[in-house]
Amino acid sequence: MLVQIRELTKLYSHGEIQVTALDRISLDIAGGEFVALMGPSGSGKSTLLHIIAGIDRPTSGDCHVRDINVADLTETQLAEWRNHHVGFVFQTFNLIPVLTAYENVELPLLLTSLTGRERRQHVEAALELVGLGDRMRHLPRQLSGGQEQRVAIARALVTDPTLIVADEPTGNLDAHSAQEVLGLLQTLNRQAGKTIIMVTHDPKAAAFAQRTIHLEKGQLLNGNGQHP
Amino acid sequence: MTIPGFILRNAFRNKRRLILTILSVALSLFLFTTLRTALDLMTDPPTTDTAALRLAVRHKVSLANVLPEKYQYRIERVPGVAVCSKFTWFGGIYQDISKSNFAQFGVDADRILKIFSEMAVPPEQERAFIQERTACLVGYKLMERFGWKLGDRITLQGTAWGCDLDLTIRAAYRGQGIDETLVFFHHEYFNEAMNNLGLVGTFWLKTENAEVIPSVIAEIDKAFANSDAETKTETERAFQLEFVSMMGNVRLFLGSILVAIVFAMLLVTASTMSMAIRERSREISILKAIGFDSRQIFGLILAEAFGLAMAGGALGCFGAKFFFSHLDIYKMSQGFIPMFPISTETIALGLLVAGLLGVVSSLVPAYSTLKTTVVAGLKELD
Ligand SMILES: Nc1ncnc2c1ncn2[C@@H]1O[C@H](COP(=O)(O)OP(=O)(O)O)[C@@H](O)[C@H]1O
Ligand SMILES: [Mg+2]
Repeated sequence: MLVQIRELTKLYSHGEIQVTALDRISLDIAGGEFVALMGPSGSGKSTLLHIIAGIDRPTSGDCHVRDINVADLTETQLAEWRNHHVGFVFQTFNLIPVLTAYENVELPLLLTSLTGRERRQHVEAALELVGLGDRMRHLPRQLSGGQEQRVAIARALVTDPTLIVADEPTGNLDAHSAQEVLGLLQTLNRQAGKTIIMVTHDPKAAAFAQRTIHLEKGQLLNGNGQHP
Repeated sequence: MTIPGFILRNAFRNKRRLILTILSVALSLFLFTTLRTALDLMTDPPTTDTAALRLAVRHKVSLANVLPEKYQYRIERVPGVAVCSKFTWFGGIYQDISKSNFAQFGVDADRILKIFSEMAVPPEQERAFIQERTACLVGYKLMERFGWKLGDRITLQGTAWGCDLDLTIRAAYRGQGIDETLVFFHHEYFNEAMNNLGLVGTFWLKTENAEVIPSVIAEIDKAFANSDAETKTETERAFQLEFVSMMGNVRLFLGSILVAIVFAMLLVTASTMSMAIRERSREISILKAIGFDSRQIFGLILAEAFGLAMAGGALGCFGAKFFFSHLDIYKMSQGFIPMFPISTETIALGLLVAGLLGVVSSLVPAYSTLKTTVVAGLKELD
């Protein structure tokens, strides 16, 4: 299993009140899967995604990605781990506004030991893949919402990560752009074998995934967490 | 793109803020270097600013009355007196009375340049002037006026004093703030020509510092009170005395302004940096998400703040240097401030202050972004 989650719990406390964002979740995700995390607002989808992606820590339980317990890493190790293993696509404001599409995609590669020429090859290939080979020199504000999300996807895959995580990537897009972005994720999964975990509350978006996992009040519905 | 390129892009993202910040740091450092130079000049006046330390001792009755030569020993013994020279107006005629509207003085050749250190004389000429009894030291303007050269001999016919002086020009001076049409010769030579009369017009002296001036004046005049020739000691520029005695307070005042400026700069740059970084908290979370660790983020912020402060600092410090070197401060201040040299040391200190400023002002925003978790940062705009 690429991702193995066992008894994962996340609590938030506001003084007296405790919120259980995730309640003893166990879940497996195999390499090459395209999983949709669905559920109503506040059900813990983002929290789960953040813990898998190593930007948040569980209160208890384990989350192994490729046999590494993400919770065991220090902050610095975690940052490096994310750089190697995770590509992020958020709902909005994914890109650095002062950098061009090309430079935004190049950003995670600046932390690697690749040469300038290698970086260029990777960035151009990624932008070609998302269909924006002709928009490399554009700034985010010169792009449409759908194009921005595609640049974010290019940035997420440019390091060839183990996982691509997307939190409501189409939440702010019109139907047509949403279709494009979801189609792109599906292609990446089917043709390039990328493992993708996508949070959404839209059933139409979830339909692009191979598997849908339902969350409610921090718990998995109908035990679909364990792999069939 | 490279990391430095990314830092530059961040710095230039808001050009108006960039320019205003750099200008405010630059202006502050301009003030800083200027005030510090002023402080320097007060604490340790440059050699040309010694006028304020000079005193003249004359006969209490009038300038026409003379003093005994031996007073010099007593004057030199007064605490605070650094160096003292005889200074006797000769009033001789050179060739023709119509040409002779320049002053000549008998002085102690080995001391006069210590007292009037504004007079610039090449060292070998100074030595030649001191060594030869009949040598004289002449201002450049007078040299030019008469077409004199070193080695020329001139004769001054005595009028007030009953002797003539045959002099050889051995040295010429340029003097900021000093009349360049004077002739100085050995008092000893004059005294011999007067058959060892032992009389002196005035004594000029330089005190060790400005603070002792009042006591030096009082003590000299007290020493010769109730003698045949009572003295009156005064500063070269009486109006400057007041200024100089106030110096202690002025120094404190300037010093506090300096501290206030540095502090104000710190607040300005720190708040600019904080604003700049707060605006970017979401972006910083994205950077963290894609793998930048805390140290690298801190590096980005630090480099930007440091670069900004150094740009402003360099502009201010070198701007001040350029400004004051292209300004005829001597003329503008009507001789009150002979020169205003911004020293390398002051520039270095200014740049150091700017650098520290950059570092310190990046600490607050850096600390707050480091404390913010990725998730919290992402939520900010969601
Ligand atoms: N930083 C936080 N502090 C307190 N409670 C939080 C925090 N983040 C999330 N929560 C709570 O945890 C629960 C799950 O949130 P989240 O994972 O964002 O849900 P979803 O993405 O499904 O809308 C919600 O009840 C939310 O209010
Ligand atoms: Mg969410």
